[in-house]
Amino acid sequence: MYGFEAMTFNIHGGYLEAIVRGHRAGLLTATDYNNLCQCETLDDIKMHLSATEYGPYLQNEPSPLHTTTIVEKCTLKLVDEYKHMLCQATEPLSTFLEYITYGHMIDNVVLIVTGTLHERDVQELLEKCHPLGMFDSIATLAVAQNMRELYRLVLVDTPLAPYFSECITSEDLDDMNIEIMRNTLYKAYLEDFYKFCQKLGGATAEIMSDLLAFEADRRAVNITINSIGTELTRDDRRKLYSNFGLLYPYGHEELAVCEDIDQVRGAMEKYPPYQSIFSKLSYGESQMLDKAFYEEEVKRLCLAFEQQIKGAGDKEPDVDL
Amino acid sequence: MVVDHETPSLENGQTDKEVEENANVLQFMDSMDAYLTLIHSLSSTLRRGWLELASARHSMGASRVNTVLLDHTSHPAATSLLVTQDEGKVDSGKPHFTLCKWESSSNENSLLGEKQSSQDKLHPQLRHRGSTELYEEKTSSDNKASREVDDPVQKERSKSLSMFGTLVSPKLRAAQLSFEAALETLVEIANMRSEMLCAFDQVNMKLEGRKDEK
Repeated sequence: MYGFEAMTFNIHGGYLEAIVRGHRAGLLTATDYNNLCQCETLDDIKMHLSATEYGPYLQNEPSPLHTTTIVEKCTLKLVDEYKHMLCQATEPLSTFLEYITYGHMIDNVVLIVTGTLHERDVQELLEKCHPLGMFDSIATLAVAQNMRELYRLVLVDTPLAPYFSECITSEDLDDMNIEIMRNTLYKAYLEDFYKFCQKLGGATAEIMSDLLAFEADRRAVNITINSIGTELTRDDRRKLYSNFGLLYPYGHEELAVCEDIDQVRGAMEKYPPYQSIFSKLSYGESQMLDKAFYEEEVKRLCLAFEQQIKGAGDKEPDVDL
Repeated sequence: MVVDHETPSLENGQTDKEVEENANVLQFMDSMDAYLTLIHSLSSTLRRGWLELASARHSMGASRVNTVLLDHTSHPAATSLLVTQDEGKVDSGKPHFTLCKWESSSNENSLLGEKQSSQDKLHPQLRHRGSTELYEEKTSSDNKASREVDDPVQKERSKSLSMFGTLVSPKLRAAQLSFEAALETLVEIANMRSEMLCAFDQVNMKLEGRKDEK
């Protein structure tokens, strides 16, 4: 029974929970998005965003604006908020917050390695990296010729080191190897994050298990669909699926042999939570699948906010979120 | 004596001249109509392509679809443009543009067959004033050739997308097809413009000739 954790939660987590709920209140609303849809220029967008929490980040930007500037400044807001929370967090919350950045680290590593393979300038690549995934010595990635060097020169001192055990080969880095490396790292990361949340127990384990399992299942479906018609073999495809989630293990066995989107649908519709997602799509259609999964993810993330309030529901008034 | 006002009582040469002039004007207007239709088609194809690319970027993430991943290593062009003079009219000066797609993967005949069948598939709104039977026979024979080159062409398509990774979203593949169609339309526009300018020159020449006669 985990309800008693609410009695001591506010000692370490009360301030940050209030901060998070404040940030949630600052998210753009449907009205904001309607206004943004009416905008005809980027300056109009800047004007509308000036009335939101993104305003302070855009107000000093000179015209003419570029789309990358708007994206950069809005991302900077997220990064500043995250860093503030990380500074204020104690264990195990600080480790939890660090786990959130590992996915971005993996994306940045793959970006640098791929860009270097295509003879791009390292500075150019570093500018495109996500700020949440930056680490010292990331620029040194450009020197590595194969995964063994990648690990030995750079990644051994990063949080991604434990995830490399299944990737290390002396084969030169090419497009297929990099793709397999990306997905293998992400698989190891998700499994590690899942185990960490399970170890924490309580509300964290309950909520995060559901969210991470959904993420693992979504990745399995995306890997399946994206690998249809490519050189990736069924065995290699199967190895990229995470070892947890609703689809593990029988759903994965079916997905590994799918050759088209309708077979993927057939495999997924056996699971009631995904039946509702696929029912929104017509046969043979795959392009709206991302949107359907995204909407389901947002629904689950919104439900995560209900947990703390419900836990202390006897004494605290209901808060309409 | 019945006077036939339908047929002017002129010598046959002048009547033929008028017929030829009318034909030139019709050809000019036809080519202009086709040109404008192609421009409109290009605009909508490009719009579709950009939207699909934006969807792919949203789906795969900004780190997987961005300009820094474009390949700067030296590699042969997958597609090239061949410019020739129009056949049968050596001194016309009218250029003809031919797109050679994925030329590293198959021979020229297959490429032309695939180009023609894909053009026919993608541009049904073009009006063909020639014989429809001849057009249908040509299309069916080219379709057979086009199926045979599909696999190598698909491989070339996947190879050119590999800069974004090997497991890319179907939206990115759709964007690639849209931009490919846009490239074909651009070449058609160039050919149509060339025809239109040639027809305009001929109409102009006839008008100048009439002025001189007067």
